[in-house]
Formats: sequence, structure tokens, C-alpha cells
Amino acid sequence: MDLLDNYKKAWKNQPEQASKRSTIEIYKLAHSRSASIVKWIFIIGILEFVILNSLYFFIDMDEAYAEYEKLGLMNFIFYSQIVAYIILFYFLVIFYLNYKRISTTDSTNNLMKKIIKTRKTVRNYVLFNLGYMLLVMVVATNASIQTNLEDLNNKKILFIVFASLIATLLILGILCLFYQLLYGFLLKKLNTNYKELAKLDTNS
Amino acid sequence: MQKDLENKFLLDFEANQNIVHKICSMYTTNKNAHDDLFQEITIQVWKNYLKFRGDSKFSTWMYRVALNTAISLYRKSTRKVKTQDFSAIAYKIESTPYEDTEEIKLKALYAAIHRLNDIEKALIFLYLEDKPYKEISETLGITNVNARVKMNRAKEKLKNILNP
Repeated sequence: MDLLDNYKKAWKNQPEQASKRSTIEIYKLAHSRSASIVKWIFIIGILEFVILNSLYFFIDMDEAYAEYEKLGLMNFIFYSQIVAYIILFYFLVIFYLNYKRISTTDSTNNLMKKIIKTRKTVRNYVLFNLGYMLLVMVVATNASIQTNLEDLNNKKILFIVFASLIATLLILGILCLFYQLLYGFLLKKLNTNYKELAKLDTNS
Repeated sequence: MQKDLENKFLLDFEANQNIVHKICSMYTTNKNAHDDLFQEITIQVWKNYLKFRGDSKFSTWMYRVALNTAISLYRKSTRKVKTQDFSAIAYKIESTPYEDTEEIKLKALYAAIHRLNDIEKALIFLYLEDKPYKEISETLGITNVNARVKMNRAKEKLKNILNP
């Protein structure tokens, strides 16, 4: 007899667990609050959308618009913001649909795929937002150099470009770190398990 | 309607809760974590109970939800026990009319299982519960061939832990 068959017998004969729950206890448990990572991914995802879009409330937009006006960028800002909102809406819909598709009755492989996909939607939205911020920054820097061209010497231009570059890298760095910590903490186990399951065992 | 469904769920779950307890004992090593995972599985089974159509056995359906919760949804770290920590699982097993050697074997088995990774645990669990490969591959969402290969690997690893 195989070694494991021996243990299997012990497994089969294992007594009922001491901590058997009554139907009342099961009722209470079933109606308690879930602490699953899917729920956290949803909450954090929504928070990310909200925070990214409420940044505008903290910046004095009148002042920013006045600045854009001076640089002759009003049209660019206006139209690009319309596009950005359409894209935000698109991401929100996709995020919600992906979230809705997550089901624990799915196979393990599919379930993990869908969780990872939902979280990637948010990541892509953040990337899009960063891209958009970068675009505005490049355009604004460029326009401010163009408008003040006669007052600027090469040194000053270089300084402006350099300063914007540093600021961008700093923001990117902080965001990367934040993401690593947040999602690393939430999804480390899931990612490991997903890789383990997806790995094809061919060399045996 | 809702009340009927709820009553049916409670009875089904109560009758099959041992499956959930076994899975919790495999994926956790202390009582708090065990209870935590048990709670999350109960929530998930109830949340999805409407989708249970009854064309498969409730227990079969529950295997899937419970394993999925343990593997993908449950966040608390399942730190692997480095030594064969028998005492960690001792509380889970009643010591009433039960053969001593079998009890020791069962404890050793749980301790060995704790050293497997999450996917291997699922495979071994389905093996111990005598599930056919078709069901195993469907539950995990991998091909039949891959399920067999992975299963052999997991069994080999378990044997090596049990009998080094």
C-alpha cells in the first residue's frame, strides 16, 4: 500500500471537528461583514478614482485657469479635459463590470484572473492620469518658455526643464512606492498562487 | 422565499460544515485564523447560494467556494510552520473514541500539509477527499493533464515531508 493511502485512511476516519457550529451561529457568521481582498480592491479602487479626481478641489483652479489663459492654453485644457472625463467614465464602467464578474463559484484559475484584471483596470487608470498630467506639464512648460522667450536665457530654460523633470520623477517615485506597499500587501499571496497554478508542469 | 432559501442554506451548510473545518485546518495554524477563515467562507457560500442550482451536489459546489476563498480571497498571512508543530492543531481533534495511531497519523498529516503551498494544499485536499481528476481540473481551472502532473508533484512533496 502506498504511504499516502495509509494517511488517507486516518484522514477519512478523522472525527468531526470539536468546534461544530449551530445553525444560529452559521446565520450570524453568514451575515457578518466580509474582509475579503476583493472587497478591499473595490474600496481602494473607488478611493483612487475619487482622490485622483478631487485633486482639482485642492488646487485653486481660477488661478490655474488664469495662468493657462495667459499661456494661451485654454482650448487645449478645455478639450483635453472633456476627453479625460470620457476616459474616466470608460474606466469606471470597466472597473465595475470586472468587479461584478468576480465570483467565488468560478474555477480558481478564472477567479484569480478576474481579481487581477479588476485591479489592473485601476492601475491603468492611474497610469492614464499620470500620462495626462505629464502631457499638461510638458505643454505648459513649453508654452511658458515660448511666451517668455525674450526674458529667458539658455540657462533659465534648462533650469525650468530640469525642475519639471525632477518634479515628475519625484511624483512617479512616490506613487510607485505607494503602489508597491498597498497592492504588494494585498495581492502578494494571490499573485504567488496565480503564478503557481498557471505554471505548466511539463518536465516531469 | 428569502426565508425558505435561508433555511435551506443553513441546513445544507450545517450538515456539510466539516468540509469547511477541514479546509480551515489545512490553511491556518491557529484557532483565531481558523475561525476567521471559517467566517469568510460562510459569508461567501451564503452570498453565492442563490447561484447554486442543485444540479450538482451541494458539497461539491461548496468545495469550490471554500477552496477559492482560502486560496484567493483570504488575506491574513498563512505563515508556514517551520517545524512540525503538532500542538498547533491538537485543539482541532477530539480525542474520544479514536485509535491512537490514527490520531498521530492525522496530526502528522496536518503538520505536513501546513508546509505545502496553497495550490498544493488544494490538490492534496481534493485527493484525500477522493475527488476524480475531472472535478479537480474543473475546480482549479486547469487541464486534466496539468492537474495530474501537479497532483503527482504535490503527493511526492507530501510523501517526502512525511517520510524524509
